[in-house]
Amino acid sequence: MSAPTHRFTPRSGARRLREAVVVALFRAATYAVLLAGGGVFADILYKGSRTVFQAEAPFINTTFLFSSPESLHVFEWEGRRREMGDREFRAFREREPGAADVRAESFVYSAGGIWPCIAGTLLLVAGAMSLALAVGVSSAVYLSEYARDGRFIRFVRLAILNLAGVPSIVFGLFGFGMFVIFFGWNVSLIAGWFTLAFMVLPVVITASEEALKAVPQGLRAAALALGATRWQTIRTAVLPYALPGILTSSILGIARVAGETAPIMFTAAYVVRDRLPWEVERAVDFLFQGVMALPYHIYVVSSKIPQNEYTERVQYGTAFVFLLLVALVAAASILLRNRLRARLRW
Amino acid sequence: MSATGPRPTLFVRRRLRFLGLTPDDAIRAFFGGNAVVAVVVLALITYFLVREGAGFFGQNRRNLEVYRLAGLEFVDHLRAQEEAHTALTRRLSELRLKAFARLSAGTDGAEAAERALAVFDAYAERFGAAIDPLRALGSELAEVATGIKTKFMVNEDRKEERRQLIAEGKAGEAARVGVVPVDFAAEARPLLAARERHREVNRVLATELLALQAAPPAPPVPELRDLLERFGAEVRSYVAELPAIERRLETWDQAKPVAAGEALRAFLFGRQWLTASFWQDWYGLLPLLTGSLLVAGVALTLAVPLGVGAAIYVNQFASVREQRVVKPAIEFISAFPSVVLGFFGIAVLGEVLRQVSQLPWLAWVPGFPFSERLNVLTAGCLLALIAVPTIFTLAEDALNNVPRALPEASLALGASRLQTTLRIVFPAALSGIISAVLLGLGRVIGETMVVLLCAGNRIAIPDFTQGLGVMVEPVHTMTGIIAQEMGEVVRGSIHYRALFMVGLVLFLLSLAINFLAQRILRRYRLAPS
Amino acid sequence: MPNQTTASSPIVEISELDFCYGSVPALHGVNLSIPARQVTALIGPSGCGKSTLLRCLNRMNDLIEGARVVRGSIRIHGVDIHGPEVDVIELRKHVGMVFQKSNPFPKSIYENIAYGLRLQGVRDRARLDAVVEQSLRGAALWDEVKDRLQQSALGLSGGQQQRLCIARTIAVEPEVILMDEPCSALDPVATAKIEELIQELRSRYSIVIVTHNMQQAARCSDQTAFFYLGRLIEHAPTRDIFTSPANPQTEAYVSGRFG
Repeated sequence: MSAPTHRFTPRSGARRLREAVVVALFRAATYAVLLAGGGVFADILYKGSRTVFQAEAPFINTTFLFSSPESLHVFEWEGRRREMGDREFRAFREREPGAADVRAESFVYSAGGIWPCIAGTLLLVAGAMSLALAVGVSSAVYLSEYARDGRFIRFVRLAILNLAGVPSIVFGLFGFGMFVIFFGWNVSLIAGWFTLAFMVLPVVITASEEALKAVPQGLRAAALALGATRWQTIRTAVLPYALPGILTSSILGIARVAGETAPIMFTAAYVVRDRLPWEVERAVDFLFQGVMALPYHIYVVSSKIPQNEYTERVQYGTAFVFLLLVALVAAASILLRNRLRARLRW
Repeated sequence: MSATGPRPTLFVRRRLRFLGLTPDDAIRAFFGGNAVVAVVVLALITYFLVREGAGFFGQNRRNLEVYRLAGLEFVDHLRAQEEAHTALTRRLSELRLKAFARLSAGTDGAEAAERALAVFDAYAERFGAAIDPLRALGSELAEVATGIKTKFMVNEDRKEERRQLIAEGKAGEAARVGVVPVDFAAEARPLLAARERHREVNRVLATELLALQAAPPAPPVPELRDLLERFGAEVRSYVAELPAIERRLETWDQAKPVAAGEALRAFLFGRQWLTASFWQDWYGLLPLLTGSLLVAGVALTLAVPLGVGAAIYVNQFASVREQRVVKPAIEFISAFPSVVLGFFGIAVLGEVLRQVSQLPWLAWVPGFPFSERLNVLTAGCLLALIAVPTIFTLAEDALNNVPRALPEASLALGASRLQTTLRIVFPAALSGIISAVLLGLGRVIGETMVVLLCAGNRIAIPDFTQGLGVMVEPVHTMTGIIAQEMGEVVRGSIHYRALFMVGLVLFLLSLAINFLAQRILRRYRLAPS
Repeated sequence: MPNQTTASSPIVEISELDFCYGSVPALHGVNLSIPARQVTALIGPSGCGKSTLLRCLNRMNDLIEGARVVRGSIRIHGVDIHGPEVDVIELRKHVGMVFQKSNPFPKSIYENIAYGLRLQGVRDRARLDAVVEQSLRGAALWDEVKDRLQQSALGLSGGQQQRLCIARTIAVEPEVILMDEPCSALDPVATAKIEELIQELRSRYSIVIVTHNMQQAARCSDQTAFFYLGRLIEHAPTRDIFTSPANPQTEAYVSGRFG
């Protein structure tokens, strides 16, 4: 019986080893990527949590989250190192007669909080996404429900693909040239909305088309066969089933809109602004005001002020809040979409 | 009655019409209108970039014209000569540094080394001093030239003021603003007159230098003999160049018009990006373009093996459970905001890389050790993290689209998993993978915040003579320069327009990359089988 | 060869085989001996497990997550192919497979045939040339393609592609060839050519063919096994199955009353 067993005996060990090594390399590449991503995420989460959370109730640093940025003053007082925000420092100097001419080291934006940035980012995202969804979904409806494949439609698709590849800073320049200067909107919320909306448009269109395509042809045929017009078919037999897909996939667009800095640098973002966005005299002013935004604030605090133990607090804190916001949105989108894809296999 | 003939109203639906459109037509038109928004936006981007940027060429042409008319160009010939000499002097200091290191390593220490180098130092000093007359002449002429330029600028400002006053209807006040056109030819006469002196200065310089190179000091360390000899040769070729410079001054034509193409060439192939300079502003794309490409190159070198490798692993070898974790996780990385990554680079990665580079056992890596925290490598590593998810997702898609029949056939022929992957699946997906890499490249070149924060922002063409060590130099990039300078420029100024031109180049570059990616994808796609 | 197989001695022995996809059972207690150098047809209605059995024979089912043999064994030349010392890749070199849909690689005709040998590290050009010609002749394709060996295999017609796949399979010199409905995507003329080819190959290879086409089974097989709901209902010489089936279900199926 020894001869037959030779037929299927394993190949040489060296060859198997070589294959195992190559596969291990591929595997190592995969986990290197995950490790790098996880490392960045963990570093910011760990160091940022020291700013955002605190040991005593309410455990969340509400000052940091819900107040405006201030300068931080560091000085020696009665043999002790003191750190104070702007307002506190002024009050302190009035209270303590000897403190009027105390020599303090100052760091801008390093005290107080980031509430105006959070509010500004939320406003920017809400407006830009509303615009992008309105235009993007309509565009996708046309492309997937009305259009017949022709030269023009291919051209439109090409434009969408190319628009997706345009660098964000170019969108910033474009928004600056068109909305800020040509339309005379200045650096404003509304200029930011349009710039960001155009930037995210390809994402929304592609996501919406995918969702529309997932609705089975049979439903459309059935509605048409019952005497519905094209629009009635879309309204009653297509959009309702595609809508969850459109919305979940578009959340990924939110992450993109919220995460970009370059397009809002010259169109919507202020380095610092004392008033909150809703503290305006006339309603129109709301649209035409610049806002602070989290990504821009991170840029400012990480490049315009020195790195030390006093500034690190606000740097990591802002990065933490921003990363967490974007990450939650992205994670929600990815999970919802995967679940939806699994469910929507008609 | 109904049986007698077809009813004319059957199959005709009564519809509301407005402007000849049924509601359905109107709705269709509405959706169609939205569909072309993408086209419109692309057109608008092009239009506004050109609108704001196109004026650059006229302005730059004027800029170059003034450079010539005011004689700055003339003086720059002298300055080039001066700089070449400075480079030679620097060569001597390098020599001294080496010699000093050798000597002081000996038993006698630093003091003895200083003593041994005394002759050499005297020689170096004499060599350095030889340029002084030329330097004096140069700065004298530079003053003349800047004087002319200032006069011209003041005049331009006055003209502008007058134009504004007239526009406001204040003709009387306008008349009082004195505008005296600058007579460039007359103003530049001192420059031309100085040519005689320059020749004289050069003759003295040439004799001095030739004398010096003929009698070099005894090399303080024998190993440096070769270097000293090479230095002598360099001095000789420098002296040989002097008549050429004189000729250039001789033939310099102040009135020669600046061709229109010159302004374009100075932009596309200009080797300097120098703004707000007291002397002359240059808007050359090359330092920014090379910076962008260098950073992208480093990023892709890291991202392509990782991204494609991960895609192959996940698609071909990972278990379903592993796939279900890894794919969303990598997708999640793509959502990291670039500004946060940039911050991470400043706060952590730059310093970590710097310290790693100083590990003694890593000294063989080109460019290591380095002291600059923010450089191409730091930015490239972070950009790789941005590019990997793009490349991974698209490459994984491409691998997934390979018909399952192909790997099955291969396995049934007795191929191993790896053989099947490398010989069948990977080649079949290659066009998709190449296009994934190209789109990753587009992503990296267009990325702003990471390079703005981490690339070091030094505007100069990196020094490629040191080979791969170039990857640890600080650079500036096209995206970075726009983000950094846009906020500080005067609207409508040449600098402002130059930034829009950089934006236009970036835009066209991204379109080209995208277009190429799609071409490759379509051209080499497998016939659907 | 140490143990000479006679024409009637079994080359594959399946005993008490139970097979599952995850928790879904696909085969129950299958006992089947496949004789060497004969054509064995596996027939039965869709989903009866005949393809599953076929793919068990060269362990292609290993690729499907959760698919596994629960009980029983498959022996080829007396070797349990699920045994620990068996290398599945060596197994597949001995047990070739032709698929339902032709699946040539997007390479040249020549490279398609040479693929199996190249995998084994053969670089000798002369030997490759010889094997390519021999295999293409063996698959009755040589005359049609000899002038365009370097052209893409995707340019061949459906029937030619399928014969190319057969040629590719015999290039690695297997003992057993598994065919999974090889003609289901072909027109009658191409089908006839493949059937003719099968007749020629039977002298040198043991062939197991899954087919939906009763006439095909009747025309070109020596043995026929009828499957129903994951069970082997009847196994006998083809003539007997089609003329005097022992089992009423077999009779109902072959006479076209269900399936």
